[in-house]
Amino acid sequence: MLRSNFKTATAALLATLLSGTAALADITILAWPGEPSESAFRKVLDLYNTTEGAKNNSKASVIYFSQQGFKEKMLADVAAGSKEFDVMLTATYDVGLYAPFMTPIDDIITEDVYKVVSKNSIETQKYEGKTYGIPTDLSLHFLYYRNDLIDQLNSDPAWKAKYEEISEKILGKKLSPKPADQWNWDDFIASALFFTKSINPDSPTRYGTVLQMKNLLYNIMLWQGTVASNGGDWRDKDGNITIDSPAYKRGLEIYKIITDNEATPGDSSTYEYGEANSVFGAGQVAFMLQWNAAVPEFNDATKYPAVAGKLGLSHEPAGSEGPKTHFHSLGLGINKNSDKQDEAKKFLSWLGSSDALTLYAKEGGSPPLAEGPLAVIAADRPEMALMGEHAAKYGFVMNGGTSAKALGIYTNQAENFTGYWTGEIEEDEAIANVTADMKKAFAP
Amino acid sequence: MSDATSFEQQQRASARVLLVPLCLFMAALLGFPTLINLWYSFSDVSFQNLVGSFVGLDNYVAALSNPKMWQALGFSLKFAVLCTVIEVAAALVLVFILHPLLVKRPWMTAILMLPMMVSPALMGVMYRLILNEFTGPIPVYLEMMGYGVNFLGRGNIYKTIVAIEVLQWTPFAFLILLTARQTISYELEEAAAVDGATGFRSSFHILLPLMIPALVIVLFVRFIDSFRVFDHIYVLTGGGPGNLTTSISIYIYKLFFVQHTLGEAVAVSILLLLMSLALIASAMRLVVRRS
Repeated sequence: MLRSNFKTATAALLATLLSGTAALADITILAWPGEPSESAFRKVLDLYNTTEGAKNNSKASVIYFSQQGFKEKMLADVAAGSKEFDVMLTATYDVGLYAPFMTPIDDIITEDVYKVVSKNSIETQKYEGKTYGIPTDLSLHFLYYRNDLIDQLNSDPAWKAKYEEISEKILGKKLSPKPADQWNWDDFIASALFFTKSINPDSPTRYGTVLQMKNLLYNIMLWQGTVASNGGDWRDKDGNITIDSPAYKRGLEIYKIITDNEATPGDSSTYEYGEANSVFGAGQVAFMLQWNAAVPEFNDATKYPAVAGKLGLSHEPAGSEGPKTHFHSLGLGINKNSDKQDEAKKFLSWLGSSDALTLYAKEGGSPPLAEGPLAVIAADRPEMALMGEHAAKYGFVMNGGTSAKALGIYTNQAENFTGYWTGEIEEDEAIANVTADMKKAFAP
Repeated sequence: MSDATSFEQQQRASARVLLVPLCLFMAALLGFPTLINLWYSFSDVSFQNLVGSFVGLDNYVAALSNPKMWQALGFSLKFAVLCTVIEVAAALVLVFILHPLLVKRPWMTAILMLPMMVSPALMGVMYRLILNEFTGPIPVYLEMMGYGVNFLGRGNIYKTIVAIEVLQWTPFAFLILLTARQTISYELEEAAAVDGATGFRSSFHILLPLMIPALVIVLFVRFIDSFRVFDHIYVLTGGGPGNLTTSISIYIYKLFFVQHTLGEAVAVSILLLLMSLALIASAMRLVVRRS
């Protein structure tokens, strides 16, 4: 009897231990910081931890590095074999760089995922045919403008006359105002000049636009729509570097004219996303090119009362090839060094579900949703439909823009092109430096 | 063998034994990283292959033949000399002016030390806000008074980053020099006063020569510190526009983390280490000679 009880107790104990080991372990996620996506992602994690995570007995928590130097810290960590995070950030422009440190996740990209996430955004998380991340945020650029000012420019005869006078005087051609969605780059420049107080003392804003010209790779992504819209690319189909081209020169010229005529704030060479938002949000400029992530902020009257309710959105101005926008996706993938591969995979499978990504979108994230879930959140986030449309119609990725060398190339362009815009170096020198760097980077 | 010689030998032997833990500690903390870095500088190490293979002097040749390295080195040297001279001169003047006050109210020294308690990166963020043309209080008030100054614009950015460095680190120089000033005996000053040396003459001919060892040390420390400036410049300008504000530390950082040329980045660091060692040796020789 005693022996039988002992056996039963041992079996019960073993069963308990086995069931305990069958439960999944907790995972840590390294995600991209910054609002509104940070708060939105925390809500998504709360949902996971109370639903799917609770079912699997696995809890997910998130950690953030600061935006400045984020990628460098992550690279140092994964190269050193860190297991501090199980799920890590992926991005279109550096998926090739991080691929050796990540686990491909093609086995969880099922038909169900394609029903939730747009197919072309999953393509942007691929490197050499393998998928490394579930895309969570689509990033592209809009032309943000004050519709009260642009409407008046198109209807007020005195403003129209002044606009024509300024464009003729500075650009050498008489241009007439147009609605923002019909702008080409000349209209963009002329409008920037018109809304600059030092050029037009009657301008309601101090500067026409705000350019982000800090020596930072993301600022080159923002700028390169000027190039792509004129047919420019990093390389041609044979892999030859094509920086020394009319398209690149035109792109450089657009920023140069605006900078030289002081139609952007004088300290624009230290500006990035945040500074540009504060200037536009304070009503000091009439329009700007900016990442899509800023839309919810400008619709918030408590944050930017000068702009809320007057915000217009359009595609970037057109070049000879029509309008274009750089686009990429941020996503989450699995750290190859992690001991919790299964847990991480389960989390990512859940993240690719409609529940997770529609909640993320409602809370302020910008996931690249497929048509079905997009319709569900259209009322809450009208600009997301616009994002999907723009990505499909105008989106481009430079030839080589997902390679392991892409980050270095962007940084080198930032160094040289910001140097040109602020008069540190000549255009030919900047182009030659970038070309030489790219030849080295893409050398076999 | 005399007792004195034997005692001396025993002392030396004990000193060697007592130095062993320190040497082991230094070998572990400095020796290993130095050796690893030396290997990196002679190898084609990468993030994907942290061992690398031997490439001889290739990294050093690449480093020395890159004009950007010389440009960044020039920036750092100029920046360091300018900041050091301004900081030490300002600190010296402040010491002579404020010493009598601080003797009576020593707690005021703590207030003067506040700027150097702030992290340089945070200082960069702070000034990015304070000096912003639209949201920064300083440009806004100056404009209200009719002086529109664009502190972060291309024309002023160099002066601005020098001013931030000086504002943050003058208190450090001040603290060292104040300590040196306070060690000078009051009797000496009294004797100089009796001989008719007061005010400027006393400061220049009596006090200043006695403060020279401290002055050399503070010049040296501030030079090294300003030479390797990184934080506030990186936060404010990212080394730009162009390479206008790229210091040698920012240059190495970019080589390492952006261009991923790890070997070349380490080679530049090793070259800088050698230069710094030469500087340390000359500064220490000067201090020892003065002492």
